[in-house]
Amino acid sequence: MAEIAFTLNGREQRVDVEPDTPLLWVVREQFELTGTKFGCGKGLCGACTVHMDGYPIRSCSFPVSAVAGRQITTIEGIAPSLDELHPVQQVWMANSVPQCGYCQSGQIMAAVALLEQNTNPSDDEINAAMSNICRCGTYPRIRTAVKQAASLIRQDGAVSIVEPRTSVQEVSV
Amino acid sequence: MSLSRRDFFKRGAALGGGIAVGIHLTGCGQEAAYPGAKPGELRPNAFLQVRPGGEVVFQLPRAEMGQGVYTGLTTLAAEELNMDAADIVVEQAYYHPEFRDPEFQMMMTGGSVSLRNNYEPVRQAAASLREWMRQAAARQWGTGGNLRVEGGVVINADGERLAFAELIETARSISPPKDAALKPAAEFSQIGREGVRLDALGKVTGTATFGIDCQLPGAMTAVMRRCPHLGGRVRSFDDAKAKAVKGVASIFEVNGGVAVVADGYWPARKAADALDIVWNKGPLAGLDDAALRKRHDALLQEDGREVSEEGDAAMAVGERLDSTYRAPMLSHSPMEPPNALVNVTSDKVEVWTGTQVPDTVIGVVAAALERPREQIIVHNQMLGGGFGRRLVPDYIVEAARISAKTGKPIKMVWSREDDIQHDYYRPAATTVMSATVDKGEVTSFTAKTVVPSIMSQLMPLFAEASMPEWLPPAIPRSLGGLLKHVDTSMAEGISHTGYHFPYMKVSAVHDDTPIPVGFWRSVGHSQNAFFTESFIDELAHRVGQDPVAFRMQHMSPDSRRYGVLKMAAEKAVWGQTEPGQFQGVAAHDSFHTSVAQVVTASVRDGAIKVHRVVCVVDCGLAVNPDVVRSQMESGIVFGLTAALKGAITLEDGRVMQSNFHDYPMLSLAETPEIEVHIVVSQSAPTGVGEPGLPPVAPALANAVFAATGQRLRELPLRLA
Repeated sequence: MAEIAFTLNGREQRVDVEPDTPLLWVVREQFELTGTKFGCGKGLCGACTVHMDGYPIRSCSFPVSAVAGRQITTIEGIAPSLDELHPVQQVWMANSVPQCGYCQSGQIMAAVALLEQNTNPSDDEINAAMSNICRCGTYPRIRTAVKQAASLIRQDGAVSIVEPRTSVQEVSV
Repeated sequence: MSLSRRDFFKRGAALGGGIAVGIHLTGCGQEAAYPGAKPGELRPNAFLQVRPGGEVVFQLPRAEMGQGVYTGLTTLAAEELNMDAADIVVEQAYYHPEFRDPEFQMMMTGGSVSLRNNYEPVRQAAASLREWMRQAAARQWGTGGNLRVEGGVVINADGERLAFAELIETARSISPPKDAALKPAAEFSQIGREGVRLDALGKVTGTATFGIDCQLPGAMTAVMRRCPHLGGRVRSFDDAKAKAVKGVASIFEVNGGVAVVADGYWPARKAADALDIVWNKGPLAGLDDAALRKRHDALLQEDGREVSEEGDAAMAVGERLDSTYRAPMLSHSPMEPPNALVNVTSDKVEVWTGTQVPDTVIGVVAAALERPREQIIVHNQMLGGGFGRRLVPDYIVEAARISAKTGKPIKMVWSREDDIQHDYYRPAATTVMSATVDKGEVTSFTAKTVVPSIMSQLMPLFAEASMPEWLPPAIPRSLGGLLKHVDTSMAEGISHTGYHFPYMKVSAVHDDTPIPVGFWRSVGHSQNAFFTESFIDELAHRVGQDPVAFRMQHMSPDSRRYGVLKMAAEKAVWGQTEPGQFQGVAAHDSFHTSVAQVVTASVRDGAIKVHRVVCVVDCGLAVNPDVVRSQMESGIVFGLTAALKGAITLEDGRVMQSNFHDYPMLSLAETPEIEVHIVVSQSAPTGVGEPGLPPVAPALANAVFAATGQRLRELPLRLA
């Protein structure tokens, strides 16, 4: 066992676990932050994506010892409060992106990291950054939502509020 | 944004009600009390409650696994109550007989039936509550007519208001109306309108609770090593190295495998990996894909069972064509690996998990632990994908046995490798499609398919839930044997397709295999639409006709399928493409819904690229058109993964794939533009969770034929 200190969602934390324990399990089991998901255990699907110093990492295959002294952000840490969502979360809701929803924390973390580096990503840049797997096939909406979020961020520079589509729009078919 | 903190917690509580206490069911020969009841609430029926504070609660009788029932069924209740769907608290219903599907006679989610079979019952339940509130208000005011019920309030002609909370006591003295009139479709203000998903907030904030997120004080984590050779069992094992892993509590044999119980996932997994196990390979030892192929070829020589026959065999004249098509085994691989938290105590067994079949879970856990069914409580959660995998509760029984053995709450978590190598697979199928062609006309269309009957394997399991307890276990088992003679899923999508030819016959040969097989999204249609719609394309080209026109000529012009095909051809501008791009079409009925798709693809350097899919669906009234669109998108992406990539292969009875590197999924970069059109309809709604999938593989294969002249008759599609 070894004591490892790092910043988790803005707060200094210390944890005493085996140093090879993947960050995912420390976040989920020691800190009870269950928004970050286990999907493959091999860094292949991205359901476990969190940020380390602003960059996306796949926490299922990232030993906790490697985050000592680093800033870790999870899905629980990207919005100032639960009724003041991050623009990416807002457009995700407005487009009804999630289906089963299990991969969406990771998708959102990948999108937030992309948009922090690049507020006007091309389709190719979205393809490269958004490599997380979604078994429900929400990809077309993810692409739309990333572009909308980019546009929102370009306009406002920071967190803004969008009105989700209301429940009484006419349907056009 | 209009979402208040109160809304958030209200909905959050519903999404995240992980460890809420279930009410113990007491049978005693009387109708069981509704589970999840709260003191002081008003409950006119199983589906709806008014809590003392006036909150309207909807008990969601189906599992939300992405297909949108959380939104769709709540919308039905909201419509009749004249409430905003977002103001209704949704709770995952506990098992109760009144939540059983009228068709399947069990509480389950599958077969794309949720909206179709709940469309009237849920509206009826909500209309009854609405009229009950109206009657209570009339009594309280002492006046009858002209009372409006909306937004959880009754309003009279003078504009006076009584909230539901103020009507609870009065309502108790009136019996709830049973046959309240349903709103006419012309008055719908929510059904048929666009709306955001009600479960989206929890799913974008990481607060939605899936089975894997549930926890109990004192719970230990369990993982298992199962025999890599399907059906095999442990012979002996050495746990010296495994026991040395810090955090490991116990290691023992269970269910033919070896369980490791530890104080977290990582120590459990490390210890499991450190186990030295000698396996008995079991009944499939030596089986590989070549042997499976040979076995299917041999079974094709048998007559099989006649599934359907129409027309006159004497009409089958002319040149005969035979094409052999094949589809491989597939794993479901939902993003959330199988998992369950089970707490076995002296007087009850509580299960927190995501399941499509709470009914079956109760039956199999009761049988495995030799407990009465009344002791088993299933706290169902959001499902991180189902696709049919969560119709089989094997992982829950494992957790239950380990909890019983250790006397502790046990959280069983499967790895992705466990998931891919121990699934109940979409079975491999081989089908010979045949036709006769005389003077440029197709005179017969016949097929023989070789495939295992899924029902004959799994019926004993489901019977555990739906048969009376006094029946000896041999009865459900023998039922399984009988079912291979009637299992419609074997040939669904080849037989009864709505195509008309002078002579048609379909037969099916049961491949009685010990390979575990299960219901994979769209079941038989998942492979049979590929066989049928590819072969129809072959026939169109054989007689020199346009594939769309040929199909239309051989189906009834007043069918739903004709309508979607015609519209798909129009919307996709059939016959016109960019240079280097080619179109393929397919139209298929499944689960009472018709879907046509036109795929535009190109082939360069031996690689297939899908550019665009135009999809038209007729599912009756689209209760939430955006959910319908999302399910078409979902079925198309799921189907493209199978068409382009999916294959489970065997060597020595062992699955050779293990994770997403060798069982890959379609990525965002590979996903085509998808355009969905919904046929305007006032017919009762039919399902959309599965029907979007079957047409995409044949439509793509037909586009590849147009591009290359190669007729690919085997999935996944591989160019020569």
